[in-house]
Amino acid sequence: MSELIAYLIVGIATGSIYALAAIGFTLVWQTSQTINFAQGEFVMLPAILVLLAVKLLGVPIPVALLLGAVAFVLLFGVGFKRFVVDPMLPHGVLPLAIATMALAIIMKEGAKDGFSAEAQSFPSPFPSDAIQILGTAISLQFVMTIVVAFATIAALQWFVTRTRTGRQMQASAQNPTVARILGIPVERMVMLTFVINAALAALASFLISPIYLAKFSNGETIGLFAFIAAIVGGFNQVRGALLGGILVGIFDSLAAAYVSTSYRLAVPLALLVVIILVKPEGLLGRKEERHV
Amino acid sequence: MATDPASPATDAPILEMQDVVGGYGRMTILNGTTFAVRRGTITTVIGPNGAGKSTCFKAVFGLLPLRSGRIRFNGTDVTGWTPRRLLEAGIVYIPQGRNIFPELSVRHNLEFGAVAAGPHIKDMPARIEAALDRFPSLREKADVQASTLSGGQQKQLEIMRGLLLDPSLILIDEPSIGLSPMLVQETFGILRELRDRGVTILMVEQNARSALEISDEGLVLELGQARLQGPARDILDDPRVAQLFLGGAMQPAA
Repeated sequence: MSELIAYLIVGIATGSIYALAAIGFTLVWQTSQTINFAQGEFVMLPAILVLLAVKLLGVPIPVALLLGAVAFVLLFGVGFKRFVVDPMLPHGVLPLAIATMALAIIMKEGAKDGFSAEAQSFPSPFPSDAIQILGTAISLQFVMTIVVAFATIAALQWFVTRTRTGRQMQASAQNPTVARILGIPVERMVMLTFVINAALAALASFLISPIYLAKFSNGETIGLFAFIAAIVGGFNQVRGALLGGILVGIFDSLAAAYVSTSYRLAVPLALLVVIILVKPEGLLGRKEERHV
Repeated sequence: MATDPASPATDAPILEMQDVVGGYGRMTILNGTTFAVRRGTITTVIGPNGAGKSTCFKAVFGLLPLRSGRIRFNGTDVTGWTPRRLLEAGIVYIPQGRNIFPELSVRHNLEFGAVAAGPHIKDMPARIEAALDRFPSLREKADVQASTLSGGQQKQLEIMRGLLLDPSLILIDEPSIGLSPMLVQETFGILRELRDRGVTILMVEQNARSALEISDEGLVLELGQARLQGPARDILDDPRVAQLFLGGAMQPAA
């Protein structure tokens, strides 16, 4: 029993990290039809940048975290939009999706050649103590990961629904033509979603790397799980991506514990197949309407 | 007589289109469109499908790059201005169809009407309350999703939203589409009330007869050019207009 609770909490912790990536994924999809196949690499790279800053500049960890996050948001929030999405989007959704696949390869190989092919330990911002939850000893690392991820998602949800800027962002995603007619700075709002996506990815990176170590190939699994989470939850909703992320995390954790570590990738995929068969619009998704 | 440049003479047109040429891709829709809209009137633009009525509005509102020509608002050249700048200057555009955000509340939809004024507009809550007071059926639904509104209420919401910054010119495209005859009359009633308060309204309507009946002026567009303009009564009674709507080309003016 206590073992099950431990696996559940670990699942929720990693799931909340997948949720961060999945939410960013749906945001950029909604505002600019970008299916970012480099999303996993987006979560892999910030940790590498932080380690690089420590190695090259010799700065302390907190400074390195800040530098890494800022550099990543500039390069892969603003820069990604400017230099990948903007030039490719006029050619269609598919060419853009393929461009993001190319970007994923570049990021992965870049991290390998530019930093290290080995998994590197990444400092945790949280103490390594364990606390008792329902009679089970749980590392504070997992508990704090859940707290930070949920607080971030709640803050994002508050921003999107309760602030004027957030609602202008929603309007720009839902109907850019009307948004423009009302004088909403649609371009700026779209850029904002890319900045938020990069920031969420950086946070996810800093939360997951202490658990799974920082490695150039981390993006493969994370990207796949974030993608599955987004589809399972419903592609057009923050709440959906959150639910999808948690489900995938729990499935992954339980599968690794009770089925087999070598089949762990297959279990979330099976979840994906079931959802697509039973509820193709996702658990919390709306049926997509297309106006012609 | 000297005129105050800040408040243009009332007989000066509020909007002028001069030799406007534009279209989509290689297709030219506006073909040297030239007309002027009198201040304080309801002016209805009629014409066959493809005459360029809606395109005209898009051109005025900065949504269609012009190949040539000029557009003046209150005597100022506004050619190529962005929608935001035009909103600030006092023009609003209400396109045809549904232009609300169904998942947001009525109040939040309404709020978007003041976006162009920037974040610091002080009396916005008061303006929103005043707008809701004018339409009691919307006040009841202020905090529910706009998707629950009827078609007529959605159009009213769009008009209300457009009024939040006290525009002096409203471009409204096919307000009657999808509305029952009673709601059409109600919507036209709102437009007349606005006109009586000094707002100029330029409207495109497929429903030409009932629109001209509540209008001061009529304007006939054909093949992207203004063919006829005059008091709405005269346009209504003009046999050439009837012929145009029956599909034939217009005879040259007698």
